[in-house]
Amino acid sequence: MSNNNKKWFSLNLNSRKKQTSSTCGCGKTSGGCNSHTVSTQMSDEEFLEAAVDASIGEERKKDGFDQVFEVKMDRRTAFKQLTASLLIGAGAVSTSCSVVSGEETKEKAQIDWEEQFKGNYKLMSDEEKKGTVDRLVRSYQLRTGKTISMSSKNAEEDVLFGYAFNISKCQGYMDCVSACVEENNQDRNSQMQYIRIHEMKDGKGFNFNEADDNYYHEVPAEGHFYMGTQCFHCDNPPCVDVCPVQATWREDDGLVVIDYDWCVGCRYCMAACPYDGRRFNWSKPEVPEAEMNHNQHYLGNRMRKKGVMEKCTFCVQRSRAGKNPACVEACPTGARVFGNLLDPNSTIRWVLENKKVFRLKEDLGTEPKFWYYMD
Amino acid sequence: MNKRTNYIQIIIGLCVLLFMFSCKNEEHEYHSVTDKIEAESKNYHGVSVSSEPYFDNIEMIEISEDGQSFLIPDRKGQIRSYACTECHSKPLNQMQSRDLKKAHWDISVVHADVNTMNCVTCHNPENMDNLKSLTGNTIDFNASYKLCSQCHTKQFQDWKGGAHGKQIGGWAPPRASMTCVNCHNPHKPAFETKWPARFNTQTIKERNN
Repeated sequence: MSNNNKKWFSLNLNSRKKQTSSTCGCGKTSGGCNSHTVSTQMSDEEFLEAAVDASIGEERKKDGFDQVFEVKMDRRTAFKQLTASLLIGAGAVSTSCSVVSGEETKEKAQIDWEEQFKGNYKLMSDEEKKGTVDRLVRSYQLRTGKTISMSSKNAEEDVLFGYAFNISKCQGYMDCVSACVEENNQDRNSQMQYIRIHEMKDGKGFNFNEADDNYYHEVPAEGHFYMGTQCFHCDNPPCVDVCPVQATWREDDGLVVIDYDWCVGCRYCMAACPYDGRRFNWSKPEVPEAEMNHNQHYLGNRMRKKGVMEKCTFCVQRSRAGKNPACVEACPTGARVFGNLLDPNSTIRWVLENKKVFRLKEDLGTEPKFWYYMD
Repeated sequence: MNKRTNYIQIIIGLCVLLFMFSCKNEEHEYHSVTDKIEAESKNYHGVSVSSEPYFDNIEMIEISEDGQSFLIPDRKGQIRSYACTECHSKPLNQMQSRDLKKAHWDISVVHADVNTMNCVTCHNPENMDNLKSLTGNTIDFNASYKLCSQCHTKQFQDWKGGAHGKQIGGWAPPRASMTCVNCHNPHKPAFETKWPARFNTQTIKERNN
C-alpha cells in the first residue's frame, strides 16, 4: 500500500514504481499469488475476454431496458457470475504480477485500479486532482494512441458566471446546438444535445406545451419567436440536493458540475431539475476520433461512460480559461451574452441592470443564473 | 406544576436558539442571487484570465463612448479596396462612362427605403475615403458605428452596454466587441432566413414510440 496520506485505499500494482519489499499486488510476501496459475494458462486478453463473457455474457449486446428485464438467472448462473466477478478482480492482480504481460498492460491495470478506488473529485486536493487527470490522459493515450489535454483548473475568486439570452434576437438557426455538441463530445449515436431551442407562437407567451423544439424548416418562421433552454446553473440547485452520492455540486464560480466517475446513474437529479437541463447516457457515448475535442476538463467535456448523467457546464474547459462558451461564440445573432456577474463593468451586468430581464420559473426559488431579455 | 413550566420554558428557549442559528446558515446569507451579486461585487479585485490570447490576431482599435471604453476590430484594413481614392481619382460623373470597368456592381441598397436613403446619405462623392454624417460631417471608416447610430439609437445604446452584438474572444477583460458592420452588411443589413444547422432524428424516433 503506497501512500498513507491518501483518502482512499490504493494498491500499488505498477512494477515500475519500485516497492520496498518483494510483495506482489495480492499482498503475499512468499509463495506467490494464487492467481499466477491462472495467468500461465491464458493470455491476458483471453482471460479478460473469458471473465467478462462469463460475468455479463450476452448482456453486452443489450442495452438499458433489455438488460434489466431479460435476465434469466438460475442458481447456477448466479454462482457463475459471482465467481466471474471475483476472477476479474483477481485478473487485475494477476496482470500486474505476471512476468509475461507487457509494461503497458501493467500500467493500464494500475491506472484502472487507482481510478476504480479514487475518491470524490469534490473532496480531492489539487495534487489528487492532477493525479486523476494525468491518469485519465495516460489511459486515453494507452487505449487510442492519441494525446488529449485535460485540465483540473479550479474556480477563480471574484468570478460568478452568468448568462443572458435575448429572445428578440434568436432566430432559431441552432448553430449553438451544433457548436455545443462538437465542443462537449456528446454522444453522436443518441444525438444528445444540452441546448434546446423552442419555437413559440407570437402572442402565446412561453407556452412549452405548444412549442416545438425539433423543427426543420426555414427560420425564422413567420409569427414565431425562439428561446433556448439548457442548464441554468441555479444558485440554489435542486439537482444537487437530491443526489444521494454527492456526485454533483455547485462550484464557487457558480457552475453546477458532475463528477462522472462518482455518479451512480440514479437520475434523481434529472427528475429534480425543473428545466430539463440534465441528460442521461443510456448507451456508451461514442465520438469519432476525428471529431473529438481534445481540449478537455475533468468536470466538462471529457468522455463520459454509459449510465452517468451529464449536462451543460457553461463549457467549463473554456469559461475558466477566460473564453466564452461554445454556444455564445457560435451564435450568429448575438442573442447570447455570457460573463462575470461579480465584475461591475461586465456586459452581463449591464444587461441585468439596464434591460427588462426575467428568468424561467422564478417562483421556484432555484435562482437560475440564466436571464432572458428583450430588445 | 412549577417544574413543568420550567421544562416548557427551556424547550421554548432551545427552539428560539435553534431558529436563530438556522437563519445564520451560510447558504441563505442572501435573500436572492441578485442581492448576493450586488454584495459580493463590492470588493471585486479583477481576474487572472484575459481575453487577449483569443483575439486571433484581429487588429483592434480602442473606442470610448459615454464612459464605456472597449475594443472594436479595425475596419479600414478589412475593406478590400481601401483607400477609395486609389480608384476614385476623378469626380464621380467622369467615372460613370461606359468604357471604364464597372466596380461595385454587386451592391444594391436594401436599407430603409428610397425616400430615406441612397448612396450619398453615407458616402461623400467629394471625399471618398471617409463617411459622412447626416449633417455633412466627416466620419472615419473605423468609426462607422457613429454613422449607424444616427438612426439606430436604441441599438447603439444596447451595443455600448453589451446587450446587442457579439463579444470577441471571451468574457474576461479586456472587452472587445464586434462593430455594426462585422455582422450587418451596411447595404443590406437584415439577416436572411436559412435552414437550421441540425435536425434531431433521434428525438423524433423517441417521441413517436
